[in-house]
Amino acid sequence: MPSDESLLDRIVNAIPMTPAFSFVTTRILLPFWAWRTPVKPQPGGPRPSVQPGDNLQRMMNLIMPLKNKSPIGRAQAALTIAQNKDAIYAGLNNVGTVHFARFVIVGDNICMFSVYDGDFNNYIRDFIVTIGSVFDAIVSLVEEGYEVLPSAHNVDAFIEWIRRHDLYQMPDTATDFLRDQEALNGDGAASPGNADLRLLPRKMVLQLHANANVSLGSGYRAYPAFSAAQIRERLGIGW
Amino acid sequence: MSALFHLADLQGNILRGYRKPHVRYLILEVVDRSTARGWLAASVSGRDDGVPQITSGDWGANRPDTCFNIGLTYEGLRALGTPSASLEMFPNEFVEGMTARALKLGDVGPSAPENWPAPFDKPMQIHLIATICAEEVRQLDEIQNRALSAEGQAFKLLGTREGHFLPGDFVHFGYRSNMTQPRFEEIHDPDRHGDGQPWAPLGTVLLGHRTNLEGLMWRVPQPAALGHNGTFNAFRVLKQDVAGFEMYLDQAASTLLKHPQVDELLPPGAEERIGKGLSRHAALREIVAANLCGRWRDGTPLALSAEAPDPSAGWENFDYVGLDDSRCPYGSHIRRCNPRGGKIVQRMANHSRRLVRRGVPYGPPYDPAKPRDGDETERGLLGNFIGASLGAQFEAMCCDWLKLGLQDPRITGSSDPIAGANDPGTSWFDLPLKSGGTIRLRGLPQFVSTRGGAYTFLPSLAAISYLGSQIT
Repeated sequence: MPSDESLLDRIVNAIPMTPAFSFVTTRILLPFWAWRTPVKPQPGGPRPSVQPGDNLQRMMNLIMPLKNKSPIGRAQAALTIAQNKDAIYAGLNNVGTVHFARFVIVGDNICMFSVYDGDFNNYIRDFIVTIGSVFDAIVSLVEEGYEVLPSAHNVDAFIEWIRRHDLYQMPDTATDFLRDQEALNGDGAASPGNADLRLLPRKMVLQLHANANVSLGSGYRAYPAFSAAQIRERLGIGW
Repeated sequence: MSALFHLADLQGNILRGYRKPHVRYLILEVVDRSTARGWLAASVSGRDDGVPQITSGDWGANRPDTCFNIGLTYEGLRALGTPSASLEMFPNEFVEGMTARALKLGDVGPSAPENWPAPFDKPMQIHLIATICAEEVRQLDEIQNRALSAEGQAFKLLGTREGHFLPGDFVHFGYRSNMTQPRFEEIHDPDRHGDGQPWAPLGTVLLGHRTNLEGLMWRVPQPAALGHNGTFNAFRVLKQDVAGFEMYLDQAASTLLKHPQVDELLPPGAEERIGKGLSRHAALREIVAANLCGRWRDGTPLALSAEAPDPSAGWENFDYVGLDDSRCPYGSHIRRCNPRGGKIVQRMANHSRRLVRRGVPYGPPYDPAKPRDGDETERGLLGNFIGASLGAQFEAMCCDWLKLGLQDPRITGSSDPIAGANDPGTSWFDLPLKSGGTIRLRGLPQFVSTRGGAYTFLPSLAAISYLGSQIT
């Protein structure tokens, strides 16, 4: 690559790559920033959309830290899912709006990834109605899960708890990202501080400090804007 | 009647309707906390000389001449100094308020809260909505004066909304309305007849009782005096574009006249069945109107009489079990909003999203002789959608059913033909044919737009005296 960089340019450009600089930014500068500019964690899940089709096939990425952080805790979680698999699948089937759902253990987290249609609250509430006891068995293994159990008597609190554990779906565009931050801070109109696009990388770093795990965008769909029931109807397998 | 339950502890407009011809809503802001509390205490004191007395559910043998009821927003509860431990127990959607839920409710475009006129443009100021129902306008004024002339200044009147029933219980769109409400377990209402739907448990509409969803209980804000037997209300000012609606019926009928399958919809010579002396075009208009709503304009449900209006068919006693769309379109307004026992995608949701509806038309009746000459006066419906959980009932119905059509794959992706936020570029509605096919109508504009509203908590009488007495 032809370069007219001077030696000084090259030195300056190389500084961010040095271990010392990396140490300073991650261990000193970032905690200082985060302390100076508190950023609230974004709630999980997709935002409701104006376009009806965008409210179908929505993704849930539930990451729930296990209380028991050891292979024993992970085995407990695996057993709970295995023992209740039939009930869970029957429940998902009865909810009627679920395309796919998977249970995964990542690190010391029990994760549930699913694709569902419509409103998140209705999805979780319907799930509580169908197999709340199984949901309770899983959540009882999770840090601070006991606060919202049994789900059937703490419906709203339980739904909010699940939303907090659902990953923030970080928008792909800067404007949508800023919109989310404004919505969280209750800013109706764009405030001058937020209109400065030069601050965007910093805002992103601070947001990722507050939300350590995020979903990048809301994911790919092979046949967007069809509900689970529509696909089942068209395939002739009953809905 | 159970020991836990006394009609006299409820506000009177929850389980039964007053059926008064005139209704006025006073939209109020609390300006002085302790005076406002004194006002609340006086409203349930039993001394009927100053502040109007809250009408309870136990109104005896005769309906009272005038009725007075209140609802409080979350901001209102805060302004009254409700302890934060209690405030925290109210559900999220109520805390956030109606404007924050606009996307879920379909309040976008012309319905967006940014476009709401005063006083709904400042939702944080709306603290209390008082409802006066009366036989005459004079009585409305009298009760309003009494409510606002309390010593000291408890409230600032931000605005009013007033409605009156149209002759024969019709709404502006020309349909007979106000027929079906949930019937409650344990409540005897001589005005109510069987409606083909199961009795609703009291928890459908009152906090602290068994709900429609098996095993689920909604959280009752504590202390029990505050939350128990309370409920929530979605108050909505819904503007109705009647001229636009009639114009669309014209347009749809003209399109249908040219459609190759139109004879299946209306056999030649059958126009008289639809209405005396109707032209073919006029009869097709009525067929479209009936299919969009799920009822003929005289109130006959299509589920009971799909061919033609039939006053002898009854209004309420029907179900959609096993009823395909040749009898009543899956996407028609009343079937969407309450699919009763019919097959739906969310199997546990049958009968679970029921609402008590108390609505009254506002604005002058539509005059077909003067369709839309310039700035016509706004008309519409002042609606109250009451249920123990705004999220599980009102919002769930609005978002999944009215807006997305999630309950049936054959309507998913279309919005409610009458109440939905339709865009003529993308909207559609399938008119069923007896042969099993459908004719797809397109280009439906938005007929109903939201012009204001608020989520309110309808406290029990015990809660009103609790709020009236507590001292911070």
